Amino acid sequence: MLKYVLKKLAFAVFTVLLVMTLNFTLIHLAPGSPVDIIIGPDNQDPALRAALMETYGLDKPVIVQFFRYIGQLLHGNMGSSIVFHTPVAEMIGSKFAATFMLVFTAAVLALIIGAAMGITAGRKEGGFLDKVFSYTSYTFNAMPSFWLALMLIILFATTLRWLPSSGMVTPRAKFTGFRYTLDVLYHMVLPLLTLLLLRIPGYFRTTKSSVLQVNSEDYITTLRATGMSEKKIFRKYVLKNAILPVVTSFGMSMAFLIAGVSLIEIVFAWPGTGRVMLTAINQRDYPVLMGVYLIMSIMVALTMIVVDIVYAILDPRIRY
Amino acid sequence: MDLLLRVEDMSVTYRNREKSVYAVRNANMEIFRGDSIGIVGESGSGKSTLAMGLLRLLPQHSAEVTGRAEYLGKDLLSLSENEMNELRWKNISVVFQKAMNSFSPVHRIGSQLIDIYRVHFPKAPKKEILERAEETLRLVNLGERVFKMYPYQLSGGMMQRVAIATALLHEPDLLIMDEATTALDVVTQGQILKEIQQMEQRLNTTRIMITHDMSVVAASCSRIAVMYAGEIVEQGGVKEVFRAPAHPYTAGLLGSFPSLRGEVKELTSIPGTLPDLSKLPQGCVFAPRCPKATERCRTEAPATRIIAPGRTAACHYAGGGNHEA
Repeated sequence: MLKYVLKKLAFAVFTVLLVMTLNFTLIHLAPGSPVDIIIGPDNQDPALRAALMETYGLDKPVIVQFFRYIGQLLHGNMGSSIVFHTPVAEMIGSKFAATFMLVFTAAVLALIIGAAMGITAGRKEGGFLDKVFSYTSYTFNAMPSFWLALMLIILFATTLRWLPSSGMVTPRAKFTGFRYTLDVLYHMVLPLLTLLLLRIPGYFRTTKSSVLQVNSEDYITTLRATGMSEKKIFRKYVLKNAILPVVTSFGMSMAFLIAGVSLIEIVFAWPGTGRVMLTAINQRDYPVLMGVYLIMSIMVALTMIVVDIVYAILDPRIRY
Repeated sequence: MDLLLRVEDMSVTYRNREKSVYAVRNANMEIFRGDSIGIVGESGSGKSTLAMGLLRLLPQHSAEVTGRAEYLGKDLLSLSENEMNELRWKNISVVFQKAMNSFSPVHRIGSQLIDIYRVHFPKAPKKEILERAEETLRLVNLGERVFKMYPYQLSGGMMQRVAIATALLHEPDLLIMDEATTALDVVTQGQILKEIQQMEQRLNTTRIMITHDMSVVAASCSRIAVMYAGEIVEQGGVKEVFRAPAHPYTAGLLGSFPSLRGEVKELTSIPGTLPDLSKLPQGCVFAPRCPKATERCRTEAPATRIIAPGRTAACHYAGGGNHEA
């Protein structure tokens, strides 16, 4: 098992490196440069531009810049923002905690709720609950995320005034301890609800079709032929076999969530990496962007490793 | 002799919105204790559907089973689910064709055997179950080492033998084997058939053997039922039917497999394919492929007649009648 985990880790490091290379190349291929932002539109002095380019090492070929960046990373330094002159680690560290909290809660809750719905619907295909779940999940699946977020704000924040529409804490409230936690949870409801409504349908459908497929497998027919109760067949045999594809989809869903959460964060003014990333893209703030991407890809890679390990524990056919 | 199972006018129809498929039609059979009856026919002839219908394992929403199937006086087709579960495995057990798929891939074989045993003996201690399982595994030349293994760790043939051993756990009265030895090599197949026959004699077990392999029937069965397009076209003792088939389809099947003894003959095949079971021909179902079909065969469906004691055939010209007439 240890060997299996190490192998997966090595592969993950390789993947992250590859992603970094691609990101670095793509960012530098895009037109524009952070120097444009710093000197502003009114100043077109070529000497100043050249001097600034040299200061930030942007005059070197991309490949040299890349290796310089990797070398810096190996020393544990993510560099500093070109525009704000703040260390990247400082800029995104606290923001990342907010993003992670939102993404992780959404991923786990979506898995649990979606799988439970899928199992319920799969056990009684064509039943009332199956129909209700199927239609609602198709509806929510078809909605654009930012639009759904705005509609929820209109309903729950503007009209009903039940929930706050933005931020993570009540401004100027200065809560501490348990009150603070409650305040954060209160602010998290709407962004979390949006993410859940968007992610649950995927789990629902994966689980339902998996339950239906396993239910028609020959080994389930064999167990029925032995006179075993449907309850026992379902709890021990259908469930374990049906949950495997759902575990796989958790890894992929996590990747989508990490990437897709930015838009939701911006709509709800959630103090996560979303806004930082958008600003960095607009300003071509390379070190900040690379920092955000690095942490995102490490998170996705780690999730995949966890998924692989869980899968290996559940399915004996995976050799390690 | 002791009548174990009487199937009366049993039919299975698969229905969906567009059409009905008549998979089994008006099957009649009498199976006595200790019999071993081979049901033969080509793929799609309804042999498996008949067996699955008897076991009530067909999907309830799409398959409609009518008629009667009396097992020791109890109609299997109208028992409650609980009454049926009482009979399952203890009295009637089954071995399926795809053994690799007959066990859950993510549970150890031992754990599945224990669960299956405990359906009828919930309090049985693990040790006792494993001892019993080992006994039946030995019948098929396997040992207790398979308990700790997962299905993927065994070959198809080994899994087939595990499936057979599992079906024998409670020494059932009636054993249904659906193509259960088809995946095995001939040596293993012969060995297992011999073991099963010995066990049958010892315990007076009755066996329904579904196969498309005539040689398996010849080697291991006392009676034969030939199915074509959902109908039992001929039934009788294996020796009698092999010596003188009454139905042209049986004759065709026998002509397409080589005999070990007797003169060397050229093998023949039956031209054409099975009819569409949702649009059956008006007369005899076999008429379109029958080399001896007459005008009467194409317009009038033949009734199943007793042509000799313990022997039936559904052909206008079987027994009394004559094709040349």
